[in-house]
Amino acid sequence: MIELIDVHKSYTKDKETIKGVSFEVHEGEIFGLLGPNGAGKTTLMQMIATLMKPTSGQILIDGLSADKNLLDIHRKIGFLTNEIKLDPMSTPNALFEFFAKLYDIPDSELRDRRDESFARFGISPFADKRFKELSTGMKQKISIAISLIHNPPVIIFDEPTNGLDILTSKQVTDYLKELRTKGHAIILSTHIFSVAEELCDNIAMLIDGSIVAQGTVDELIALAKVNTFEEAFFNIYVAHHKE
Amino acid sequence: MTGKRGIKTLIGSFFRKRGQSGAMASNASFLVSLAFVAALFCVGVSWLLWRFPYHLFSDEVYNIVVVNAPESFVEFNEQTQPYRDQRAADYGDPKDVIHNFSNIYAFQYSYDGYGWTEFIYKETDALYDFVSFSKWMHQNDAYLTVVFPKDFDEQVNNRFNGLTDEKPEILTYYRADSLEYASMKNGFIEEYLAYYQSDIRADFGFKITSMTDSQLEEKPLVTSENNYGLKAIRESLSRTFIPILLFIILLYSSMSIGTNVIAGQKERGTFTGILLTPLPRYAIILGYLGGIVLKTLIPAISVATFSALLMGCFDIGAILALYFYIIVLEIFIASITILISVINDTVISAQTAFLPIFLTLVAVCVTCIQTVSERDDFYMFLPVHGQFFGIGDVLMSKPHVPGLLISSLATLILSAVIILITVRLLHSERYTVSIDSVDAKAVKRRLEGGKPTLWETVNKKYDDANFIFNEAIYPLVILSVYQLLAVIPVVVSYMRKAEYSAYIQGLADVTTVEEVMNKTFEVFSIFFKDPLFLSLMTLGYALIILTYFIHAKRIFKLKGFKDMAAVCGYPLGNIKHILSHYCLGFLFGFLMMTCTVAIMFFTGQITFSGFTLSFSGIGVFIFNLLMWFPQGASEEVMFRGYMIRSFNRRFKPVVGIIFSSLVFSAFHSLNNGYTPLASVNLVLIAVLFALIYLLTGDIWMTSAMHTAWNLSQGNIYGLQVSGNDAANSVVTAIYDKNASSLITGGAFGPEGGLATTAVATVCLIIVTILLVVKTRKAKKLS
Repeated sequence: MIELIDVHKSYTKDKETIKGVSFEVHEGEIFGLLGPNGAGKTTLMQMIATLMKPTSGQILIDGLSADKNLLDIHRKIGFLTNEIKLDPMSTPNALFEFFAKLYDIPDSELRDRRDESFARFGISPFADKRFKELSTGMKQKISIAISLIHNPPVIIFDEPTNGLDILTSKQVTDYLKELRTKGHAIILSTHIFSVAEELCDNIAMLIDGSIVAQGTVDELIALAKVNTFEEAFFNIYVAHHKE
Repeated sequence: MTGKRGIKTLIGSFFRKRGQSGAMASNASFLVSLAFVAALFCVGVSWLLWRFPYHLFSDEVYNIVVVNAPESFVEFNEQTQPYRDQRAADYGDPKDVIHNFSNIYAFQYSYDGYGWTEFIYKETDALYDFVSFSKWMHQNDAYLTVVFPKDFDEQVNNRFNGLTDEKPEILTYYRADSLEYASMKNGFIEEYLAYYQSDIRADFGFKITSMTDSQLEEKPLVTSENNYGLKAIRESLSRTFIPILLFIILLYSSMSIGTNVIAGQKERGTFTGILLTPLPRYAIILGYLGGIVLKTLIPAISVATFSALLMGCFDIGAILALYFYIIVLEIFIASITILISVINDTVISAQTAFLPIFLTLVAVCVTCIQTVSERDDFYMFLPVHGQFFGIGDVLMSKPHVPGLLISSLATLILSAVIILITVRLLHSERYTVSIDSVDAKAVKRRLEGGKPTLWETVNKKYDDANFIFNEAIYPLVILSVYQLLAVIPVVVSYMRKAEYSAYIQGLADVTTVEEVMNKTFEVFSIFFKDPLFLSLMTLGYALIILTYFIHAKRIFKLKGFKDMAAVCGYPLGNIKHILSHYCLGFLFGFLMMTCTVAIMFFTGQITFSGFTLSFSGIGVFIFNLLMWFPQGASEEVMFRGYMIRSFNRRFKPVVGIIFSSLVFSAFHSLNNGYTPLASVNLVLIAVLFALIYLLTGDIWMTSAMHTAWNLSQGNIYGLQVSGNDAANSVVTAIYDKNASSLITGGAFGPEGGLATTAVATVCLIIVTILLVVKTRKAKKLS
């Protein structure tokens, strides 16, 4: 579903932020992108979500490239990141309706979808409150509900559980697992090991703009010749990070 | 269609109770609105104060003031008087024969009020005594003043006796506050004055009836006093105040709504979500455009409807035309707003960027006020001008249909182009992604850190010939080319005017070089009152700066615009830094000039007249103000920002400072009234500015000082700026009879006098101390 072929990105001529990244994410798979702050995770995610163009290389979503089929890709992806915010003065109901219309969801379907989605995350009691008055967890749940409003086959989540309490966090991870069983291709960036360990079928470690290791949790542990995933990350990081 | 529904949704979001554009009014927008309310209030009050006490109910304006009437004219009037009396007796009530220009012996004119024309004879020695003319017209209900030369009869005799070819000159001044007065004036000239001339000719045995024997000068006369009467109030309300009010409503509300939409959403982080929807970019732009237009139209349409009814315009067609003008204008303004909003990342920066456009459009309005009395139909077809005049015409119940159609078409085409550009920009990630990654921050830092390090290593390899060309000849070439380009169109338009022939005739008497120079400056002082010249000069100065940027790009082998600007002394990036330097510089420049003026005032060299800025002169005044900004900046780039910096590639800084200061001084040596003391002063000021450049590391401050110095000198205190007369000033300095040109600088203006020397020297000492302290600190730190 998602295919990256030798993707490079540089903001300036003399420095590359992403130095040739290639990987594939299939239907029914959760792909984890793990790396320290500043490794280029967000840049990579933004490129996959078509917000930025790679300097060279190709990104294909379901075989489509953003150069030619930008709007078709927009119909296929759901992107969640901390940098996309929702209007603080609006209410969940109004926001849902607004985006549903922009995604051209028929009015007949709109209400059912909203009820279902709000019920799942327990948003319904807050549906008419202003967005800015809600708790962090509730805001994040609403953001998730709205980013998946058009039921996209490809889901791109940048740090979805960042700053959430354990209960909300579990709600989110459970939902992601459910989406996986429904056959969505999910790409997830995080720096929280437990989330990566629990959720991801495939993990790529991004350090200084290149993928230094890739595989399942067990494969990575084996590669680093240690016992836990956390230790594996540190070993690989020390081995590849040049300062 | 996704597009259609999306556009509707986006438009709808403007009107939702707690919608996307939920007002997040910033302090800046509040202050701007406050300033405008205050300005409007002042305009209103001064208008009332000027006009209310006079003749509120007198519209009976039909008399003619004749100044220095020659005997032949008085005689002619006496001869024709019986015919007029007869006609008055025939008709009794002049109402029955209004606007009858045909019968010269019984002519009468009226403007709504009715009455028979009377001649009021006055005498004066001054042919250009506008104040008295205006007063006489006002006192005698006259719409026209005809000024004869004192020896008119004698001149006529000489001409017919073949002693001279010169035609005697008759000046006419008519009230300019209504188009009707202009047509009444035409009637008088074409009928009565022409018959008078043929009457004179008949005395000499000629029989030609046309205006060929006198040079006729027709001038509109607008002063604060002559604008009176209910009809005139309606006219000035409909043609001036309501259009301006509508413009300001449209501009201000589009600015506050439009900048809040995309730039505001970028700031709040909500824009990316909309970009990710499968909505085409054009639909996003059109949706927001529609929202801005509809939301802005609510106040504009209600004010327009109210004013139309107030002005007694009850015609449905006219009101619809009014709405049409407003809608088209709003589409134009909204598309500019959207463009600015897309380019900027925050509401504040978008509003700042909108400000120059706001001022430009307001300046256009002001030029419209000036030309309303004798406007060309051509203006009716232009964007913005067309709408301004169109609104006025509709409110006066005289819609101009071709103007409506053509100006609207032109405006809509222009808007479409702007919208297409905007859509194109929205495809670029530079304007859509809020780059927040660590690398991008590093990029930003690199650009902001473009402060010129003036103590760069000396590069001996720089080729000598290149060096001389680049640093010494280049500024001269650039300046002369652009100033020439600015002068040509003005000269061409000047050649079509009557003053031109007088000027050419005057050239015949010129013998010395000095007189030629004086003549040239005479012409330039006329040009300096011409908005066309001022705007071309403004453009020329801006182009000089741009050329320097490109030149720097070539010499220093740079890539980005920001680097080019930084090398020329304008590090971009840190807005706060720039603003604080610029504002401080402006204040310093103003204070320096004020000190200079204070010295001259307290030593009894000058006194001041009261407030001399006339209402009609405001347009030129604003153009003049606008010109000083790029003027100061361009000279700073040439002589400080670029020259000193590039000298430092070869020499020690002191060489650059001295050379640039000498060139700067020499540059002004061709100006009117240049003296050795002036050259010393200019060197002092140049060194002062150069040291400030070293102190601050940029020329933002010196540019502002330069601008503020010239601006306050010419347009606030009304003094000569380096030998040039400024057009309009807030007050006007009057030199005392015993004023010493050593102190005041004579014709060159204060820059040629000891007062400036004193102020510049004190400032120089202060700046030198600051620079020494700073260098010591830096040494200690290292």
